[in-house]
Amino acid sequence: MTQNAIIAEDLTYRYGDLTAVDRISFTVGEGRIFGFLGPNGAGKSTTVNMLTGQLKPHGGKATVLGVDIAESAKQVQAQIGVGFEVSNHYEQLSAADNLNLFARLFGVRDFDAEALLRRVGLGERGSDAVEKYSKGMKQRLMVARALVNRPSILFLDEPTEGLDPSSSQTIQNIIREESDRGATVFLTTHDMHEADVLSDQVAFINNGRIVALDTPHNLKQKYGRRALKAQVSGPDGALTEREIVLDEADTAEVMQRLFSQENVVTLHSEEATLEDIFIQITGRGLT
Amino acid sequence: MTLQAIFTLVLKDLRLYFKNRFFAFVTLLALVFYILIYLVLPQEVDETLELAIYAAEMPQAFVDELVVDGLDLHEFDSPEALQDGIRDGDFNVGIVLPDDYAANLATGRDVEVEVYFASDFPEEFREFYVLFVREVSYNLAGKPLNVDAKEEILGPDLVGAQIATRDRMLPLLAVFILMVEMMGLASLITAEVEGRTIKALLVTPLTVPGFFISKGIMGTGLAFVQVAILMLFTGGFSHQPLLIVVALLLGSLLATGLGFMIASVARDMMSVMAWAVLGILLLAIPTLNILLPGTVSDWIRAIPSYYLADTVHRVINFGSTWADVQANMAALLGFALAFFAVGVVALRRKFR
Repeated sequence: MTQNAIIAEDLTYRYGDLTAVDRISFTVGEGRIFGFLGPNGAGKSTTVNMLTGQLKPHGGKATVLGVDIAESAKQVQAQIGVGFEVSNHYEQLSAADNLNLFARLFGVRDFDAEALLRRVGLGERGSDAVEKYSKGMKQRLMVARALVNRPSILFLDEPTEGLDPSSSQTIQNIIREESDRGATVFLTTHDMHEADVLSDQVAFINNGRIVALDTPHNLKQKYGRRALKAQVSGPDGALTEREIVLDEADTAEVMQRLFSQENVVTLHSEEATLEDIFIQITGRGLT
Repeated sequence: MTLQAIFTLVLKDLRLYFKNRFFAFVTLLALVFYILIYLVLPQEVDETLELAIYAAEMPQAFVDELVVDGLDLHEFDSPEALQDGIRDGDFNVGIVLPDDYAANLATGRDVEVEVYFASDFPEEFREFYVLFVREVSYNLAGKPLNVDAKEEILGPDLVGAQIATRDRMLPLLAVFILMVEMMGLASLITAEVEGRTIKALLVTPLTVPGFFISKGIMGTGLAFVQVAILMLFTGGFSHQPLLIVVALLLGSLLATGLGFMIASVARDMMSVMAWAVLGILLLAIPTLNILLPGTVSDWIRAIPSYYLADTVHRVINFGSTWADVQANMAALLGFALAFFAVGVVALRRKFR
């Protein structure tokens, strides 16, 4: 049976009169990828800060790797890796020096900075000062830094935001590899597509509260429309669209008619995206 | 570029400058600070001669003779207290009248007066005081007397070994090095906060106390090494090297505490510079008293760097020992620990 790497119970945090995180509860199983989605100011970063021991909850409890994070933050921090949204490297140092510094802080013996840099696609530039790096390279270094201690939980905050497709792909591959290794990944992102393809489970947070929590598949099943959209070509070559609603009594008949009587050019499922579902639930977008 | 364009740019920059509340505040603060320093410094050149004097029974006629403009008499209860006053640097000259002074003057017998001088009192002025004592005695007796003025130097006699300007400057240079290091430390910490690297550090096993200890060691160590190199190359370790080492270590700790304080209020590198300049100016004041004795008053003892500068000055230039500067060292230790503790508390609040 899979154990829970993270258990949040009625977790609450306030900034003065503003309740940034309002009694949220969820669990994340070991080795799972958990997508934490929400617009700016929804309470994502505050939640991550509590789960990583940077903030003490004003209410509730967070158990990370079996330890109450508020009681023993340093015990937990030794076993987690945190990637921040904004680059915060020692810019005058080389990438290898940055990684070696953090490896020493974690007490990692025989640390191979070059191997880790190669893994994130920075093997050729490891000796360059970070200030010479592009945004994508800094972000890849951020992920590498979060991996120096082979963490049991990897917290990544918007790891691919603003990156080129190649850099995004590199980071997504690493997230999958870490999950395969058995690490739990807590992924905070705006990118619904990224969350969809990577996450085993997603949570939507809005105004400090979790408004939906399930697997992407179940959310789509629950909130999405089961339909197909076909593009057909008329005698004059003009394209028109047909919608076939699934789960109707005559769906099979409609499909048969479509293919026998019309010239079908394309056929797509009308599956809802996570963004559609988020808007449906909260009445607002992610930005 | 037209004059109008230049004027427009100047106005724009002025507006931008004062839109930054911090710079507006520091500008005003610096102005107030500099004016205060000006007001606190002596308004007029002090030409008063301060004279310490002891007599078992002070002859009123002698006192009357000395009541002249520009001579300020300070009576002591014992010869020992008078000597301590000179050793402590409170007086440059002290006169001890013998118990039979008045009787001997009246009967025309020889008089022996002891005149004490501070070790750094210029030799050419000593003779003046001896002549002065003879003159007063002559006036009282109404005839020439055989007055034997017994001179005694309290502390090391610097005859033929006056302190060179560069040696007087050594405490100033030491304080400046420590203060520059203070600024460097504050800059480093501010860069950590500004660049958010502090957040990355604190989600590792590194604790906040660990962070402070590392910065404390780095700041104190770097400051000490630099000032020690200065001393090494300037002969500062030739007298009481252990005493100088301890004084410099305490001074480095003091600078580290101040660095923490500056980092706790600074928001960026520019504000570090602004605060540090204020600090350097204030902390350099006690060294002026060494360069130009008498230019500042006793209030400089309220400035922590006084105890470092004075100790270094006395040890290097007068060969003082632990016993001579123990009060200074105790004050320096107290200030260093207090400033370090306050700096840690102030900076800790920033990390919450």
